[in-house]
Amino acid sequence: MAQASPSEGFSFLLNDKPIQAKAGDSIGAAMFRAGVRVFTRSFKHHRPRGLLCVAGNCPNCLMNVDGTPNVRVCTTPARPGMRVAPQNVFPSLEFDVLAASQKFDWLMPVGWYYKTFTRRPVWNAVEPFIRKAAGLGEAPPSIDRFSGEDPDYEQRYVHTEVAVLGGGPSGLTAALEASRQGSRVTLIDEQPQLGGHLRFTPSDAERRRVLAGQVEAAQGVEVLSRAQCFGLYEDGLLGVVQLPRDGGEESLIHVRAERVVVATGVIEAPLLFENNDLVGVMLSSGVERLIGLYGIVPGRRAVIVGDGPRAGRIASLLKDSGVDVAATVRPDQVLSVTGAAQADGVRTAGGKIPCDLVVVCGHLVPNAGLLHQAGGSLDWSDENGAFLPTRLPPHVEAAGQVKGSDLTAAVPSPPAYPDSKRCYACLCEDVTTSDLRTAIREGFDHIETLKRYTTVSMGPCQGRMCQISSIGVCARETGGGMGETGVTTSRPPNPSISLGALAGPRHPPVKRSPLHHEHEALGAVWMNMGQWKRPRYYAPEPDWSEQRIVEREYRAVRERVGVVDVGPLGKIEVRGRDSGKLLDKVYTHRFGSLKAGRVRYAVICDETGTILDDGTISRLADDHYFLTTTTGNLEFVVQWLEWWLVETGWDVHIADVTGGRSSINVAGPKAREVLAELTDIDLETAAFKYMACRRGEVAGAPAVLLRIGFVGEMGWEVHVPADYGVHVWRSVLAAGKEHGILPFGVETQRVLRLEKKHVIVGVDTDALSNPYEADIPWVTKLEKQDFIGKASLGTLQSAAANERLIGFTMLEDGKVPEDGSSVMLDGRPAGRVTSARYSFVNGTAVGLAWVSDELAEEGREIDVRVGGKPARARIQQAAFYDPEGRRLRM
Amino acid sequence: MSFRIPCPQCGERSVYEFRFGGEYSIRPQPGADEDEWYQYNFVRRNEMGSQTEWWYHRLGCRQWLRAVRETRTNKVIRAYFPDETEQTDRGPGES
Repeated sequence: MAQASPSEGFSFLLNDKPIQAKAGDSIGAAMFRAGVRVFTRSFKHHRPRGLLCVAGNCPNCLMNVDGTPNVRVCTTPARPGMRVAPQNVFPSLEFDVLAASQKFDWLMPVGWYYKTFTRRPVWNAVEPFIRKAAGLGEAPPSIDRFSGEDPDYEQRYVHTEVAVLGGGPSGLTAALEASRQGSRVTLIDEQPQLGGHLRFTPSDAERRRVLAGQVEAAQGVEVLSRAQCFGLYEDGLLGVVQLPRDGGEESLIHVRAERVVVATGVIEAPLLFENNDLVGVMLSSGVERLIGLYGIVPGRRAVIVGDGPRAGRIASLLKDSGVDVAATVRPDQVLSVTGAAQADGVRTAGGKIPCDLVVVCGHLVPNAGLLHQAGGSLDWSDENGAFLPTRLPPHVEAAGQVKGSDLTAAVPSPPAYPDSKRCYACLCEDVTTSDLRTAIREGFDHIETLKRYTTVSMGPCQGRMCQISSIGVCARETGGGMGETGVTTSRPPNPSISLGALAGPRHPPVKRSPLHHEHEALGAVWMNMGQWKRPRYYAPEPDWSEQRIVEREYRAVRERVGVVDVGPLGKIEVRGRDSGKLLDKVYTHRFGSLKAGRVRYAVICDETGTILDDGTISRLADDHYFLTTTTGNLEFVVQWLEWWLVETGWDVHIADVTGGRSSINVAGPKAREVLAELTDIDLETAAFKYMACRRGEVAGAPAVLLRIGFVGEMGWEVHVPADYGVHVWRSVLAAGKEHGILPFGVETQRVLRLEKKHVIVGVDTDALSNPYEADIPWVTKLEKQDFIGKASLGTLQSAAANERLIGFTMLEDGKVPEDGSSVMLDGRPAGRVTSARYSFVNGTAVGLAWVSDELAEEGREIDVRVGGKPARARIQQAAFYDPEGRRLRM
Repeated sequence: MSFRIPCPQCGERSVYEFRFGGEYSIRPQPGADEDEWYQYNFVRRNEMGSQTEWWYHRLGCRQWLRAVRETRTNKVIRAYFPDETEQTDRGPGES
C-alpha cells in the first residue's frame, strides 16, 4: 500500500536473529512477515500471545526495544539495526517454563495476594520471584542525570485555538472546518500518516488522499503525527506525547487550546469465549491493518466470528487476499477455540472447524476516555449499544464515531459470556470471566471495587480491551443493566506513557560563581549547594585524605590567612526613604536605627516565630541597605520583602544583585596586612571596627567591605562587580602569598564556623525552630512597635521551651558523629545532632544538637550515637573557639 | 491543576508561572489579642466557592497580585494588583 515500498529493505535484530524489514514496516509487521507468531507471554499465566489489534491498543506486543521496555512493536516503526527482545520469559518466547503456572492456577485465584500472603515473612520470601515472573519488562539501568548517557526527553509548548484529537475522517473534517473559519488548528494523530481507518480500507484510499491533502494544505493547521493525547486537563491543557520519526525518545508536548474536538473514533475490543487469547485469534481491524498497511496475509484458512456487514466485508477482503474462509459463525455459536499455543480450529455445536486464523469482529467501543476525564459523563445508549459522552464541558466537543455516529447495537446489553478459566476478559492482567464471577460473588459487585480487587482494566491497555466486557460480566452477574453498572472513572495518563517523558529533558540548571574557573585551576573538589557548584576544598595532591586537606586549609585561616568564595550568598540592595521601615517590619532586629557604616546580624521569622532565614544587613547610606541571605533562600527573601511592601505606599526599591557581584571573604590574623596592600581604606580597628562596613576600592575595583566574622577570625567580606571578581581574587592571592594565604572551601568553612557555634539556618534549624530555642534570643527586639512574628515570639519568650539547640564536645577520642545522629539518654533517643565535625583546636569532635529542654544544662553528659554505638559527650553552651570573640576585634 | 491566571501586567498565564501565597486575610493590628493572631496564623476559611488569594508571578512580572478563584472549578474570575483596586474591588470573604 501507500507506505510500503519493497525496493528498500533493511534488517534489525530480534534477540540475536536478524529480521528483514521493508520501508514503512512496523517492528511487529516485519516480525510477523518473518514468521514470528508469539510476541509476548502473558502476565500471570505466561500464555503465549500474538498480534491482536495491530493498533497499539492491546498488551500483546509489548517488547523491549533498544533497552526501552514495554514498546508496542505493532505500531512502532522498524529502523535498521535496532535490537528487539522479549520481556519476562524464561528462557524464551517459544518455550517458557513459567507457562507451567497455568497448571497451578487453582493456587492463584482472584485476589490471591490478599488471601495467601497474610504473613509478612511469607510475602518477603516470595516477593522477589513474583516480581520477576509477573513484571512488565525491566526498567533501563540506573540513570545518572549528570553522566549524559541516559536517554533525553524533550518538552515543548504549543498554544492553539482548536485542538483536534484524531486523524480519521471526522478529525480531518473538523480540522478543515475550523481552519476555514480562520482558527489556528493543531491536529493530534497517533498514526504516522493521516486518515485513520481510511488508510487500510482500499475502497477509501481516494477519500483519504483528498482529505489528508486538504488538511496538509490548509491555512494554520499544524499536524502532530505519531502523537497521543493522554490527558485533558482543566482550562484546555492537553498532555501529548509524540514519538519522533527517526526513533529516539518520545517528547512531551503541553498543548493549550481554546477549544478541543475529540474525534478519537472507536476501538475494537475482543469477544468473550474460551481460549479467546490464543495466538492466531485476531481482531478484524487487526487483520485489515496487516493486509492494508503492510501487505501481510495473516493466515491460510480462516474462521470469521461475527455477523452482519462487518463479517461480510472481512470475508471478502480475506478471499481477495487468497485466504480460504472456512466459515463465518455468530459469536454465540462459538464454544471455544482449540489449539495448544496456536489456534487450530473453532469448536461449535456442529463440531470443530479447522483453521489457522480466527478473525473476531469485536465490540466497537467509543474511545471516549478523554471526554470522561475532561468532566463529561458516559451514559449507556441501548440504541447505539455503547457508552456515549454527554454533558461535556463548554470548550470540549466530540465528533464522529466517538459520540456514537454509525454505531447501532455495537454491544448487546448485557452481552453473553461463558464462565471459563480460559476466557480472558483482561489480557493485560490475565483476569478471566471465572475470576470476575468469583470476585462478584465474594462481594466486589460494584464496577469500581471489582476493578480494584481483580485488577481488571488496570494494566497497560488501561481498559481499552477489557472495559466493556468487564462491565458486561458485572451487569449480567448482578442483574443490573449496562447503564446501571456504569463505567469506571477515567484518569490520566491513558494510554500509559514513560516516566522519562514526564521528567523531561536532562537540563538541571547549574549556577557558577564568577570565580569558577579559578577554583578549577586550583584543584577544587566540587560540591552541589542547591543549583550552585561550590569548592568543597582544594586538593593539593590526589591522594590526600579529606581530613588532611581540611586541616591544611583550617590552619591557614586560624594561623595566617585564608580566602573563600562566598559568591553564592544571596545579595540584595534595598534603597529608598522608607527602607528602614520595611526592614524593621520584616526582620526581628532594629535596622531603621542602624547607623550608616554599620553591619548587623539579621534574622527573619514568620508570624509563628519560626526562623526563616538569616544573613547580615549593612547600612551603606541613610537610604541604602545591603542585605545578604542564605544561598538557598534568596528568591524567597526577595519575594517576602516584596510581599510586605505591597499596599504600604512606602518608598522602597528591592533589587537582587547576587549575579552581579563577586564576593569573597578574607579572614585570618594576617587578613588586614593582605588587604592593606590592595586598598586605601584604613583597616585598623580604630577606623574600621568589627561589624562595620565601608565602600572604596580593592585592587582598583569598586568594592563594598563588611568586617564580619563567620569563621571566627578577623576578616572582611569583599563584594565587587562580577567582572572584577577574577582580578580581585588573583590580587588577594598574590598579596597574601608572603603570608602563606590559602583558598579554602565550604567544608573547611563549616569546621571553622562550628567551632564558633555559628548556626546555619536550614541545617541547624528546621521548620519549628524559634530564636529562643535556637539560643539566639538577642536577635528579637520585642520592644519594637511591630514586626513579623512579634506576637508569637512574645508568647514563646515566656513559654517553656520544648527543645534547645546546644553545643557539645565529644569526650572520647576519634569519635565524630555524623550529621543527623541521635542523642541518647539512658538508652533512649533524646535529641538529634545537626552538625558535628572534628575540631582541630579542641582535639576532639564538637557539634550542635537539639535536645529536650530539661537536658539542656551546661556540663551535662549525654550519649551521641557514633557508628551505631553510644559515645560520651558533654554539653557546652559557650563557643568552642574564642568564646569572647577577641580575635574578631583585633 | 492547570488553570490560568489573568495577570494584570502580563495577561493570561499558566498557573505554573506563579507561586501561591495562600488565602487573603487581613493581618491583625499590633497588640491584637491572642485569639485574633491564632485565627490569622492557623485558621483557613478554605472557601467552597470564590476565594481571594495571593499569587506571585515569579516567572513573569515578579509582582504580588490578588486573584479571586472559584475553588470548585479553578476558574480565576479576576486578578489585580492590590494597590490599584484595594478601595473599590474587594473580593468576597474579605472583611
